[in-house]
Amino acid sequence: MRKNLRFYLALLCAKGTAAGLRLLGRKATNMPGSCAIRLCPDFLGRMPRPTRVIGVTGTNGKTSTSNMVEDMLASCGYDFICNGNGSNVDTGVAAALINHSTLLGKPKKDLAVFELDERSAPRILPYLRPDILLITNIFRDSYKRNAHVEFILDILNRYIPDSTRLILNADDLLCAGIRPENPRVYFGIDRQPDDGDTCRNIVQDVRVCPQCGGKLTWDFVRYHHIGRAHCPACGFASPSPKYRVIFTDPARRTMRVELAGVERELPLPNSSTINVYNSLAAVALLSEFGLPAEKLAAAMDKLAVSETRFNEEKVNGRSLVMHLAKGQNPIACSRAFENARDYPGKKSVLLFLDDFYDATHSVESTPWLYDTDFEFLNDENIASITVAGARHWDVFLRLLMAGVPREKIAHSGDTGRAVELTPTDGVDTVFILYDVFNIRFANGVRDQIRERLKALPPKEETAHED
Amino acid sequence: MKIEILFPEFCNLFGDSGNVRYLRKCLPQAEFVETPLDGVPLFAEDAPALICMSPMSERIQEKVIEKLRPYRSRLRALIDGGTAFLFTGNAVEVLGEYIENEDGSRLEGLGLLPLSAKRDMMHRHNSLFLGSFEGTPVMGYKSQFTTTYPGEGVRGLFQVERGVGLNKKCPFEGVRDHNFFGTYLLGPVLLLNPDFTRALLDILGAQNVPLAFEEDLRGAYAQRLKDFREKM
Repeated sequence: MRKNLRFYLALLCAKGTAAGLRLLGRKATNMPGSCAIRLCPDFLGRMPRPTRVIGVTGTNGKTSTSNMVEDMLASCGYDFICNGNGSNVDTGVAAALINHSTLLGKPKKDLAVFELDERSAPRILPYLRPDILLITNIFRDSYKRNAHVEFILDILNRYIPDSTRLILNADDLLCAGIRPENPRVYFGIDRQPDDGDTCRNIVQDVRVCPQCGGKLTWDFVRYHHIGRAHCPACGFASPSPKYRVIFTDPARRTMRVELAGVERELPLPNSSTINVYNSLAAVALLSEFGLPAEKLAAAMDKLAVSETRFNEEKVNGRSLVMHLAKGQNPIACSRAFENARDYPGKKSVLLFLDDFYDATHSVESTPWLYDTDFEFLNDENIASITVAGARHWDVFLRLLMAGVPREKIAHSGDTGRAVELTPTDGVDTVFILYDVFNIRFANGVRDQIRERLKALPPKEETAHED
Repeated sequence: MKIEILFPEFCNLFGDSGNVRYLRKCLPQAEFVETPLDGVPLFAEDAPALICMSPMSERIQEKVIEKLRPYRSRLRALIDGGTAFLFTGNAVEVLGEYIENEDGSRLEGLGLLPLSAKRDMMHRHNSLFLGSFEGTPVMGYKSQFTTTYPGEGVRGLFQVERGVGLNKKCPFEGVRDHNFFGTYLLGPVLLLNPDFTRALLDILGAQNVPLAFEEDLRGAYAQRLKDFREKM
């Protein structure tokens, strides 16, 4: 698309908006883009793109993976445009491009890394035309927005440009089948000791062979539809990954990885399976981008998982863990619940799953609760569960349906009571699971819990099997 | 008592498999038969007390219609004979006359209910619903790509108090035909509405069976009803 008068007018207004916002101390990571697209709906198509554009999309893990990719590129000395501090929809991408362009819209940097919302693909991908697009996975997400996986897959298949090189999750047959004609490489994790032969989750969105519709035989199932499978009827099988994790060593925080045929050890910022996938995806993306393995390893050594998603601290010999559990997202919450269950020792768990803004203005939707594996919280090592927030009764009922004994559950609509309802004595860990829009509140609860833990007699650390 | 769940490996979207999980808690003695899409439905030869089908993707919906088409007259006979059905979300449309795509093309339904649906895949409808079933309040969430248009003689399932019925002008939500209950309400509807669930169990002949977690179900219901009335 060529630049026209409307484009220049939109760019001028957007730049003015950005300057004004910065004078007010704001970051201007969305509104300038919003302003530009309102004035010129095909603004992204007319805005010059940097020489190389990398995109990261998928249902879960795209923010963490994008953050890793950006941190690693930065530590290797690359200068690039990104939307790391802004939104991942079209307006956030436009704002990032506007903020790093000349008055006439020419990009000031040659490289861009964008986290991209998969639902927004129609408004971004045909214009941005990423050279490389990493797709982390495809799962059920917000039913109101993303409906179901078939809907999201149809969008991606329709709007990913023919020329885009794809980096796909070999262990996710939904993801691996996207745009079969596009150039591609895969990443995956070999069978690990905890993997099973059958699905242990409520939701499993791959039931039949994507080629012939026959019954699949699972070589192993990790969680939901993540695993490897083959079809005895037509010979279809999960693709072979070019980048694969052979095993992880959680104690040493390392993973043994095969990169294009060569085995090497790489550092791991966090050893939960989700973060192994995120780290591997980042490695695959940057390898395809052209970063040498030595530089990759050095950059990974400096990585840490964002503290807004996972944080653990020791207080008086006990652990206090903050773990993001995105509300309305049954898979992300199920993973968080499984992580809480698998964390060593006796635990008290706090659940703040309501969307604060939704709870204020509406009645938050509950169907997702019944696709989420609350059953993981029905575990002998989870001594208590505290539920606080507007939908506390619904979550309480869901926990009863999951078989959690009612005497283990405390629930209240008054979030201020969460701390007093949570027993801290007699447990090794307090686990706070919170929705992304509850982070400020969850941080406040964490501070109060920390004070309570400090007031307890020190606890000697006991050895647990990890 | 036999309860048939149709195609649960595919028809399980939007948390609605929770309806059947709740029925299992209420009716532990009942036999739950899950019929896969490549299997022969139990109802073809037998007469289950209840047949359930949950929402599905659009491509699966087309396969389900073709799967059930040979059983059209059998389904009609079961409905007329008083067999209970709980079809939720777009499972309702499967029994309608047709589903119209954005381009005007039509997918012929089973023609067992005088209604049609229109898809709009890029404009998903999301809303809260508050209405009534036989005089008691009913709540739920709507999240769908289709709008449904009932023909002459369709009996609604829930009267609209606030929110949207089958379409914006329709005074009712869902469809009832004898003991066929079809609704777009998600929630899952049985866990959100104890009185409706009680009525369904009564129809199944389980008048003396208590609702599972009844006190908690009603506690959640009362709080939710208050929220719906205040915030809708």
